[in-house]
Amino acid sequence: MKKDLEKVRNIGISAHIDSGKTTLTERVLFYTAKIHAIHEVRGKDGVGATMDSMELEKERGITIQSAATYCSWLKHDINIIDTPGHVDFTIEVERALRVLDGAVLILCSVGGVQSQSITVNRQMTRYKVPRIVFVNKCDRTGANPQRVADQVRDKLNLNAVLMQIPIGLEADLAGVVDLVKMKALYFEGANGESIREAEIPAELAALAEEKRELLLDAASMFSDELMEAVLEGTPTEAMIIDAVRKGTLALELAPVFMGSAYKNKGVQPLLDAVIDYLPAPAEIENTALDLDNNEEEVILKNSEDAPLICLAFKLEDGRYGQLTYIRTYQGTMRKGDTIINSRTGKKVKIGRLARMHSNEMEDIDMAGPGDIVALFGVDCASGDTFTASEISMSMSSMHVPAPVISLAIKPKDNKAQGNMSKALNRFTKEDPTFKTFVDHETGDTIISGMGELHLEVYIERMKREYDSEVEVGAPQVAYRETITKMAEFNYTHKKQTGGSGQFGRVGGFMEPFEEGEYEFVDKIVGGVIPREFISSCDKGFKASFEKGALAGFPVTGIRCTINDGAAHAVDSSDVAFQLAAKGAFKEGYQKAGPVLMEPIMKVAVEGPTEFQGAVMGSLNQRRGMIIGTLEESDYTVIEAEVPLAEMFGYSTDLRSLTQGKAEFTMEFATYRQVPKSVSEEVITAVRKKAEAEKK
Amino acid sequence: MLKNDLISKNPLGAFNVVTSGDKSSERMGLIMARAGLGKTAILVQIALDNMLKGKKVLHVSIGQSIEKTKAWYDDILADITAGSKPENLAELQRELMGNRMIMTFNESSFSRPKLEERLNDLIYQDIFRPSCMVIDGLDFGKVDRASLEDMSDLQAKADLNLWFSALTHRDNSEVSPEGIPAPCNKVADLFDSVIVLQAKSNGESKVFLNIVKDTTGCIEPGKTLRLDPTSLIVWGTRF
Repeated sequence: MKKDLEKVRNIGISAHIDSGKTTLTERVLFYTAKIHAIHEVRGKDGVGATMDSMELEKERGITIQSAATYCSWLKHDINIIDTPGHVDFTIEVERALRVLDGAVLILCSVGGVQSQSITVNRQMTRYKVPRIVFVNKCDRTGANPQRVADQVRDKLNLNAVLMQIPIGLEADLAGVVDLVKMKALYFEGANGESIREAEIPAELAALAEEKRELLLDAASMFSDELMEAVLEGTPTEAMIIDAVRKGTLALELAPVFMGSAYKNKGVQPLLDAVIDYLPAPAEIENTALDLDNNEEEVILKNSEDAPLICLAFKLEDGRYGQLTYIRTYQGTMRKGDTIINSRTGKKVKIGRLARMHSNEMEDIDMAGPGDIVALFGVDCASGDTFTASEISMSMSSMHVPAPVISLAIKPKDNKAQGNMSKALNRFTKEDPTFKTFVDHETGDTIISGMGELHLEVYIERMKREYDSEVEVGAPQVAYRETITKMAEFNYTHKKQTGGSGQFGRVGGFMEPFEEGEYEFVDKIVGGVIPREFISSCDKGFKASFEKGALAGFPVTGIRCTINDGAAHAVDSSDVAFQLAAKGAFKEGYQKAGPVLMEPIMKVAVEGPTEFQGAVMGSLNQRRGMIIGTLEESDYTVIEAEVPLAEMFGYSTDLRSLTQGKAEFTMEFATYRQVPKSVSEEVITAVRKKAEAEKK
Repeated sequence: MLKNDLISKNPLGAFNVVTSGDKSSERMGLIMARAGLGKTAILVQIALDNMLKGKKVLHVSIGQSIEKTKAWYDDILADITAGSKPENLAELQRELMGNRMIMTFNESSFSRPKLEERLNDLIYQDIFRPSCMVIDGLDFGKVDRASLEDMSDLQAKADLNLWFSALTHRDNSEVSPEGIPAPCNKVADLFDSVIVLQAKSNGESKVFLNIVKDTTGCIEPGKTLRLDPTSLIVWGTRF
């Protein structure tokens, strides 16, 4: 049976931490009859929300991994990805956005557009995801959806347009006025499941008219038909919906809805809006790279009959074994089919195909374009493309940030040792921002990621899911080394200890290279270094980047140019020139003003204005550079750039400084030179540690 | 080198004279224009000149976000340094960023006492001690004389080179005897320098900076400079 693609919506729900994403998703599942009881995130019943399926998530009340779920509303299939709100897990958000066609951006009616919402919005813009806005928590003291809509305009640069206005606010929130139908909507019954449509309360009539005017003005920009109808005073509901849909899909309009998921108000109209304003898979243009044709970009067809292309965007190792979440872009995938992993070229047989509903599932026989489904027991990494055997294509790669923090871990006993490797193997496959390697000098296993919480969660998961307890060292900042000025080198490597000797001379200069990590320039003329040994020089320089002479950190940002050298007819070899280049690098490096670089984080602290001075002081003490402050009534956001090395333990300090009323988020911004005094401390500490390890 | 070059080329540098003991750099200045002519751009160019000279600038923006304010600086710096080597530029940007702090308020949350409180937070904790402050977006139609006198006190107390932008309206043609338009015509005496931007169009559109008032003796009132209407960069030579 052919599926009507018009009736599919793949949506994400993303927002700042604690904006109520998971609570909202729980309501969506309830109203679409996927679950039969509502469990709160930190509910007294101890069950936890359905989407927070990992034990750890339920305990902490935050969503760590995005679970995919599926539901039906008004005869449409909706695939929902619940995405994490904490910035340490941004890769999950990015991956989810890559496979979604539309998104609901949830904002808190009190906190408004917070820093993480800005990050998420930027990601949505990068992946061209049409979005609608839901202003949640309108029942909270200080709720002000109009202010939030204004912030959406100012801070997110979206053309926000109110589709509703609230009936009462804070504790008096009774419902919403639908500005398209011009009706009041009240949510009644134990769980707000029955909607009563009524006339707009008299005291809101004027405001509703005023806001509808604004809605019509904004919407008519996308439809001549609506514009004419507005002039004649005869706009219909269908015309307005059609125009708002056009504007939303063109990313030029962001319709704003409101309510309180916790109080069961405003969720069903939001579901209607998902159908009305967010795109069906066929309305989104997706592209893949043709591997047979010099990676040329190809526009995919949203057709069931085209050759299959799908993307594995998430792996999970749960109670059903290895689960791979897949989004199909074109073609049909059937149980029993053989598909190809275009990265490895391996053939994979589809044994079992399922639609996931958090951690429960529904077996299905086939999946068409636009579907989000799970495969069982398929060995792959997240981000891999699977295709039908007759084509060779890859979906464009996803943006993966480099890790900025690392920790040394040691298993507590032998049993933990084995389990630890299993766990690390799986985590690195699941999460490209989580990396692991063994430090050959200390024998320690090092894990690195995007922040303290990110690594903490993996350590906790190792313990809980793999019964592998590890001892954790102090967090280490991923320092780097670079040079500050041009320096020349001229190094001769000569060795004659019986047998054939080694000879190579490499001359040239090194200089700072801002545009990338490393560049090798060959300016040898007259064959003073034979052609076959030029690449040996390159290899020698490259090898020198692994460990800088200053403190043993990786080196970056250097251009090495060779313009002179000498070779010996018998004693010169690949190895000799590699060693000569290493020697030359060492010689030049010392003269080129080597410095340490450290990761700088963009930090945003949000909280009551009364603590602004104290917070700025705390950031300043941590070598932070305050970029700016934003003050709105009693609420302040302070933006600063702070070295990661100074941010350890900041959450505890911030809590005590602000009586727990402020919160902060941070993300990697750039690498910057470490001030001299700090640099000396770091270098001394590294040397002491190395000496201690030798003993 | 790039820095010195930029300092010497900036025609607005005359407003930021840095001779030791010269009080002319501590002044209360005003840029006036109709919407969209380039008030913010001029304020940013005055601020950049201070930053290039190693002075700290506090940019107070009323009604604009931090991102938008930052973008003004990035754009204008990119324009005035076009053609420079990228490595020099990156270093300069880093250096300048350390000399600037942005404070944004929405209209209702801005007041002189609040600004002073914030300024004291910065100064007493030794976080940031500005010698120049630009205030962009203050609605002079709603500000009374007493508040501006208060600002003038604050400027003197904190030894600041303080600049405001003010929006003029077509429908109010009142002008002070010195030629300062409404809504600032009645408070003109509080300012040491006043620049009015005017658009003239005869074939091509041009924006002129008219120095209507300057009591510091650095610039002769009546002088004009030109603004590039596309990049909003001030053209011309030093006075």
